[in-house]
Amino acid sequence: MPVRKSLLPWKIFAYSIMVLFTILAITPLLWLLTSSFKPHAEIVRNPLGLPRTWYMENFRRAWTQGSLGVYFMNSVFYSIIATSITTLFALGSGYTFAKFNYRISKFFFALYTLGLLITVHSVIVPLFVLETYTGIGNTRLGVIIPYIAFGLPFAVYLATGYLKGIPDSLEEAALIDGATYMQIFRYIIVPVATPIIATMFIYTFLSNWNEFVLVLTLTSKTAIRSLPVGINSFAGGMSRDYGLQFSALVIGTIPMILFYLIFHEYLERGFAAGISKE
Amino acid sequence: MHNRFRKRYSYWLLTAPGLVVFLLVIMFPVIYSVSLSFTEWSGYGTPKFVGMKNYIDILSDSIFLHGLRNNLLIVFISVFGQIPLGFIFAYILHRRMVGGGRFFQTMIFLPITISSVVVALLWNQIFSASGLFTAFMRIITEDPRYVIGMFEQKNLAIVPILFVLLWMHTGTYMVIYLANLQKISPSIIEAAQIDGASEGQTLRRIILPSMFPVIATTAIFAISGSLKAFDLIYAMTGGGPAHFSEVIAIYMYVNTFKYYKYGFGSAASIIIILLSVGLILILQFFTRRIERRNG
Repeated sequence: MPVRKSLLPWKIFAYSIMVLFTILAITPLLWLLTSSFKPHAEIVRNPLGLPRTWYMENFRRAWTQGSLGVYFMNSVFYSIIATSITTLFALGSGYTFAKFNYRISKFFFALYTLGLLITVHSVIVPLFVLETYTGIGNTRLGVIIPYIAFGLPFAVYLATGYLKGIPDSLEEAALIDGATYMQIFRYIIVPVATPIIATMFIYTFLSNWNEFVLVLTLTSKTAIRSLPVGINSFAGGMSRDYGLQFSALVIGTIPMILFYLIFHEYLERGFAAGISKE
Repeated sequence: MHNRFRKRYSYWLLTAPGLVVFLLVIMFPVIYSVSLSFTEWSGYGTPKFVGMKNYIDILSDSIFLHGLRNNLLIVFISVFGQIPLGFIFAYILHRRMVGGGRFFQTMIFLPITISSVVVALLWNQIFSASGLFTAFMRIITEDPRYVIGMFEQKNLAIVPILFVLLWMHTGTYMVIYLANLQKISPSIIEAAQIDGASEGQTLRRIILPSMFPVIATTAIFAISGSLKAFDLIYAMTGGGPAHFSEVIAIYMYVNTFKYYKYGFGSAASIIIILLSVGLILILQFFTRRIERRNG
């Protein structure tokens, strides 16, 4: 809707605040990127300028010496596996909650809603103890199971809301034709729910990729730790070489920025569904 | 009969996997955590029941109280910083007051996609002696030896962190409000403006009242998010120096996993939940009063 011409002061205000915050948002990221191509000494001497030569050595060393390659692959593994399972489980629950008309569904749905308010911190101690007792502490399985669980409340909320809005007629026709509920799930619900599956998957993927506390507490081996924890121990503590630190941060940032630029529509829809986690 | 069995069987087949994982990993540990909070336990042997001792110790610990103060400042900056700013950006974009809205929206939202740990370490660099902020301040103040001193002051150590939180999360609120502004029918706004309502009146009388429930909901999540703030501060300062930038979640984490006080740590985590619930109830009390007044 166009704004009327009398609104010049509003426009001036609007432009200045937008431009200011945009500069504030991207300058640190541009500075990070240019600094990552400078050797340590140049970062200290000349923090503002562009790199004199585009120095790639930082990245090579961070990737191998800092084990960022290992962390990166672990992050990919955890995010893909846990996100896929969360999405599948949430879609199953969403289907039954929205379409089966069982009274107990209301109770389960309320439990999941409660789960939205519960933070990782309030379960981390018992979880740590439980995982140690059952022997899955410090294993990949011990990371994936909590990831699945913490992704569920929001995903179930999204899936149920979406599937409630779909007319019952398709499903009823299939039932009359003798289809089983599992066939309906597979051949009717899944195709119809594609947009919400994309939103669920991408939103959950982002939170799993960025997750920190669970991996920090539940694992202690380099071989199974994820990128945020690896970057924290490498760039935060061990390395006094700023060039290495910056390249490690860039390695942690670039995949998510690309991911966002490709999938921004779905991601924003996930956030805009009314609730954000942080 | 056969059909009803099949329906019930399918229900559980589809619902149970998620439910089992959720109950085992989230619901059961929460209950476990409550009972642990009344005990003294270092992870070995049996927990020793100590009643309310952990809670009393925590509430009379000056480190905890300073952490609580910092948490409340984070709540403050979320509710009175991120939410209004996010709303202003959404409003500007929705009313098309600037050209290239899509570009601005993408850029302002960008920080939220980056992991808190990366954001923390990036801003540590920005504030460091060879960082962007320092270089900038040296130009402005014409003092070639300027360095930020806030981190070493007990009362101010949290301020740069508050700024980074604002930087990081404002985009989230913008996107939420933008999506909800788009649900308001344009014809209502047009009609008001044909009747001679100014931009300010349209905002006050039509848009703000209809956005009020959404703003109240986001405030709830801002509060619970602020009280569990951990990743960013842990990676930025670890709560230091000398607990100056401590928050409750870090207090809980350090006591549990550095000092092996599992019961004590559980009590701290229960306090986080109780505080969230308490603040949310206060917020809802005021929201209801305002809604009633708006009639």
